[in-house]
Amino acid sequence: MSRGGPRKPGLRPPGPCRPREEGRLSPGNSFPEALTSQLPPPAPPLPPPGPPPSGGCLLPPALRAMAATGSVEAALQVAEALETIVSRCLGPEGRQVLCTKPTGEVLLSRDGGRLLGALHLEHPAARLVVAYVSSHLRKTGDGAKTFVVFLCHLLRGLHAMTDGEQDSLASKHMQTHRRHWKNCCRWKLISQFLLTFQTHRLDYIVDHYLSRHFGSIFSSSTKERTLCRSSLESLLAAYFGGRVGRNNRDFMSRLTCDYFFKCMARERGSEEVLDLVDDYFVELSVGVTGLPVSDSRITPGLVLPRDFSVYRPADGDIRIVIVTETVQPLFSTSGSEFILRSEAQFQTSRFWIMERTKAIMKHLQSQNVKLLLSSVKQPDSVIYYSGLAGISVVECLSPEEVSLIRRITGLSPLALPHASSQDEICNTVLVKFCKPLTFRSKRYVHLGVISTSSFIPHCVVLCGPVQGLVEQHRDALHGAFKMLRQLLKDLDLNYLIQTSDQNHTSSPLVYNESDPLPEVVNGSIQRPRQDTVLRNKSKPAKTQTYSDLVVPSVELETCIIPCSAPKVTPTGTYQTDETLRCFSPTKTRINGDNEPFIESNSANSTENTRREISYENLQITKIPGKGNLLPVREKTLEICAAQGHCFSTIPAGCVLPVGGNFEILLHYYLLHYAKKCQQSEETMVSMIIANALLGVPKILYKSKKGNCSFPQIYVRTLHALQTHQPMVSSQTGLESVAGKYQLLTSVLQCLTKILTIDLVINIKRQPQEIYDQDSEEEV
Amino acid sequence: MSRLEAKKPSLCKSEPLTSERVRATLCVLKGILTSSYGPSGRLKQVHSGFGGCVCTTSQSSALLSNLPVTHPILKILTTSMQNHVSCFRDCGLFTAILCCNLIENVQRTGLTPTTVTKLNQHLLSLCTSYLKSESCGCRILVDFSSPQTLLCLVRSIVTSKPACMLTREERDHLSALILRAFLLTIPENTKDRLILGNSIIVPLKGQRVLDSSVLPGILIEMSEIQLMKILPIKKSEAFKVALFCASLSGDFSDTGEGTMVVTYGVSLENAVLEQLLSLGRQLVSDHVDLVVCQKVIHPSLKQFLSMHRVIAIDRVGVALMEPLSKVTATICSLLLCNRNDTAWDELKLTCQTALHVLQLTIKEPCVLLGGGCTETHLAAYIRHKTCNEPESILKDDGCTQTELQLSTEAFCSALESVAGSLEHDGGEVLTDMKYGHFWSAHAEAPSIVNWPDLLSRCGCGLYNSQEELHWSFLKSTRHPFVPQTYLPHEATGSADNLTLDCFTAKLSGLQVAVETANLILDLSYVIEDKN
Repeated sequence: MSRGGPRKPGLRPPGPCRPREEGRLSPGNSFPEALTSQLPPPAPPLPPPGPPPSGGCLLPPALRAMAATGSVEAALQVAEALETIVSRCLGPEGRQVLCTKPTGEVLLSRDGGRLLGALHLEHPAARLVVAYVSSHLRKTGDGAKTFVVFLCHLLRGLHAMTDGEQDSLASKHMQTHRRHWKNCCRWKLISQFLLTFQTHRLDYIVDHYLSRHFGSIFSSSTKERTLCRSSLESLLAAYFGGRVGRNNRDFMSRLTCDYFFKCMARERGSEEVLDLVDDYFVELSVGVTGLPVSDSRITPGLVLPRDFSVYRPADGDIRIVIVTETVQPLFSTSGSEFILRSEAQFQTSRFWIMERTKAIMKHLQSQNVKLLLSSVKQPDSVIYYSGLAGISVVECLSPEEVSLIRRITGLSPLALPHASSQDEICNTVLVKFCKPLTFRSKRYVHLGVISTSSFIPHCVVLCGPVQGLVEQHRDALHGAFKMLRQLLKDLDLNYLIQTSDQNHTSSPLVYNESDPLPEVVNGSIQRPRQDTVLRNKSKPAKTQTYSDLVVPSVELETCIIPCSAPKVTPTGTYQTDETLRCFSPTKTRINGDNEPFIESNSANSTENTRREISYENLQITKIPGKGNLLPVREKTLEICAAQGHCFSTIPAGCVLPVGGNFEILLHYYLLHYAKKCQQSEETMVSMIIANALLGVPKILYKSKKGNCSFPQIYVRTLHALQTHQPMVSSQTGLESVAGKYQLLTSVLQCLTKILTIDLVINIKRQPQEIYDQDSEEEV
Repeated sequence: MSRLEAKKPSLCKSEPLTSERVRATLCVLKGILTSSYGPSGRLKQVHSGFGGCVCTTSQSSALLSNLPVTHPILKILTTSMQNHVSCFRDCGLFTAILCCNLIENVQRTGLTPTTVTKLNQHLLSLCTSYLKSESCGCRILVDFSSPQTLLCLVRSIVTSKPACMLTREERDHLSALILRAFLLTIPENTKDRLILGNSIIVPLKGQRVLDSSVLPGILIEMSEIQLMKILPIKKSEAFKVALFCASLSGDFSDTGEGTMVVTYGVSLENAVLEQLLSLGRQLVSDHVDLVVCQKVIHPSLKQFLSMHRVIAIDRVGVALMEPLSKVTATICSLLLCNRNDTAWDELKLTCQTALHVLQLTIKEPCVLLGGGCTETHLAAYIRHKTCNEPESILKDDGCTQTELQLSTEAFCSALESVAGSLEHDGGEVLTDMKYGHFWSAHAEAPSIVNWPDLLSRCGCGLYNSQEELHWSFLKSTRHPFVPQTYLPHEATGSADNLTLDCFTAKLSGLQVAVETANLILDLSYVIEDKN
């Protein structure tokens, strides 16, 4: 990260920011070079319309001097420059970016990760950001652009917040060095708060408040988890809205959806299918240029991008074998020696080899084998004899293709030394068909393999006028399967529960079921939850137990209005949306430590039953992911400060409507949380995160006017939340909650790192992994 | 010194289409393309200062592959067109000009890229569904019982390549030849699936075009001495041919990964040669007359064979191997003559295009009216459709009527400008208000004219001007009208000299042009890697 470029030390703004680069490039680079003389002299580049005024040229030269310090300002400048670029590609209204490679290839992309990579940024902060983004992408496959926008807003928030303080700090007498040091200390502190917040508080907020809004892409009609097709379609439409051109969004999401359902043998095999498609996507897709995108289609079976070495048409049952070595025996194998004593011996040997090859192919023919797949190039004689035996041959399969075929069919390669013996070959499988396929005069082998797993093999043929577009669609499709793969996994949440009996005023924030006693005594904190319990009373006996607690809590209600979340009618907010009501069964991980704790005393058992009730209650109201908070340690029962780890999950398949819903909701709950916070730092951190979250929806609604403009949406949503009305989303489409959540944590981790850096050291040295100690001394 | 070098940061330009330089280069490219379009298009001479051949052409495939394009946006455009051409071989200029026109027109409207790309996509789907529909007024079904339609199609293609430098007589001769060559590749008794044979184009440069001919079978080039030796062939019975794809040079193939120890005095070469000669003896005793080998034949074997009056031809290459191995299937050789190299190259491209178009037409048995008539007719249809039924487009997109009108105007005038590009001599370009066909008039028209006298036939040649028609200048604004749909059958049957276009290639070209234009209009940044 501290590797400086070969240029002068100092802040190196990203490429777009230097007008002199622009000047350097204008002459002589235009098309067609031979014709430039006919053209009027190139006019100075026009400033592009709209904000930003300088078209991505954001870093004023003055700022370059400050680069030595790893300051928030510097990082902010960089993040803002990046934000300008990615924000134009963000969301359904985002536009395309054309990237050229030094090789002359052109690539179209709206993929944030690819854009950041293509910029080849030099600025240390930028490189840090890019490294974090790419590690996030490896995990989730989506969210690079949102990452940058969010990070930028966080930095902006931090910067704005400290601006006022800085003025007071920067009094004249203080030395620059000391000021810098002081700044660093402060940033370090803030970064620690951020880290604490992310690890201990964020999960809690997600689990407690946000989870009630989650929908699921599984349909609820059956006990089984079955994917709801319409939900999947809106999920994919939203995903492709951010990744491909607008024209192709619907087409691509339909194609992906079709592909997914065609590949899935039974409803429950979705995980297996996704794993396989993600792992072997390159082998399962074929790119064809020169045709319109709308010609893209799905073909059953596998398409291998090579021609038959020999093709012998065959009908009916086609039996195939795979070989990984040459069928023809060789004179000598590795490690052995072949001694040739006479010419006759040589000729006999060659004759024997031929006869042997012939015998093997004959034997394969007798076993009804019609196709030989080989991972290596076979000698001419093999090709010749297989042709005679009516066996088609495909050579030079890649290891991935072999492994894919093996995984689908369960076929293992043929062991050749035994192949000519008279017994039956067991390493064969049947394929439905095997024929040549031609796309724009390029030949392929089309293989109708029969699957033994829940994956029904299909290939997707992606067409486009240019290679760059085909690549974009291929990447987007691959990313979609990565995203789905992530979505259909549970995401663990764990957080710390803190309660301190000294501060009851703060406990509304951190109350939980596992901490009943102090709250029962004080009577104020648990009220909302017990209220719920009472309303849904399933066991009258329990009502008795708590009835006395309810009464005193009534008057307290007014003072904890913002905290009313738990007592809010937990009927979900998406009643109107049919697809969103398909909730998955709640998944809760119960920690093993609970066992002794349940039996320990009466207070414990009460606690336990109450938990059950609330659990049922939650199921009735269908809030997925609303895992019970189960105490881990017995300590929680003690009246003094209690601390415990809670484990919960965001269940597989959790989704929220697109259009900044996640951000606005989390913003709302964070603000709400901030009001309750005792520590000013915690308030500050949650406020900053809450405000930064709005960055994304602001961009999404930038082009919208009137009723759909951001302020309108924001106010409406907040109003709906406060009055517990169902929220109405203006956009159709869904997005993965787990993906968003992971994005948030990645960004916060990145920010923490940025804040803790106090100095960037530029070194002028070639980037070398291993540096020889001696040679360094010699130099 | 480490070979690892620090990467230079990339150059990132926003809103690339607004740059004056991009506009100017786009304009130059469009100028090159439009001036080459059609039968009266101007030729381009492409030559490199570093040497090599001079290429005189007006075909998109030759032009686009030779132009040095550096700007990424133009690169996208030209690669897109090249990809189209390599798929369909035809309608490359149409696609490229339409794409340039669309980009230019849309920029002039000032609509946001979002709106425009959405609307363009709608207009495109209107076009494609109309062209595929039964009611389409510019599509003719091919009647395979008579060669007329196919001949017209081939003649239109040959005519549209002025760089072949053909006279009218030569054009007719060549068109008939190409069609005959194609028909020779259709097997006589087909089962359920039709597998077409090959036609091999054999160059005969420096001869008269009228000397070109078609022969069934394959021609293999051979030196005169060789030929003298074997001539005259007196055999009356069948001619036996042995075909080898493996090398007969006696090279020693793979021996495996282990070591091979050869005792002193043992010569592997001799052993191999002995094997080769025994093969030769076998060939002779089998009364083989011709030995053809893809790779090299050992000189000793060659000599042995010629001593026994067996013709040996080696190094025929992989390209010829496939038709040779299918010699029982339908193959023909088209002996193509032209006066000089450049014109021959152009002629060869033309023949390949025509043969490919015929193959496409077999698959999709219909053709479109050429000579600009499909474009103007389609534009008239779209104008009428969006004017009278805008609801179908507007209902799900949130666009306003004005935006639709602006976008339609940009789209339709782009189509019409393609048709207008066929006129290179400064003549007037018009469209009639009944069929929506394309008409062009001579440049030396008096100010007040009697149009029916000045115009004779429309672009495709289907209608003549003596009908009661009203004309309007292509560039002028006019009221939307319903162009006559449902082409009457007798109209197409009677005319024997129509200008026709390949349906598949044109339809795909239209789609590719709009998709590429949308793509380019949607670009927000260009990031250039400067390493």
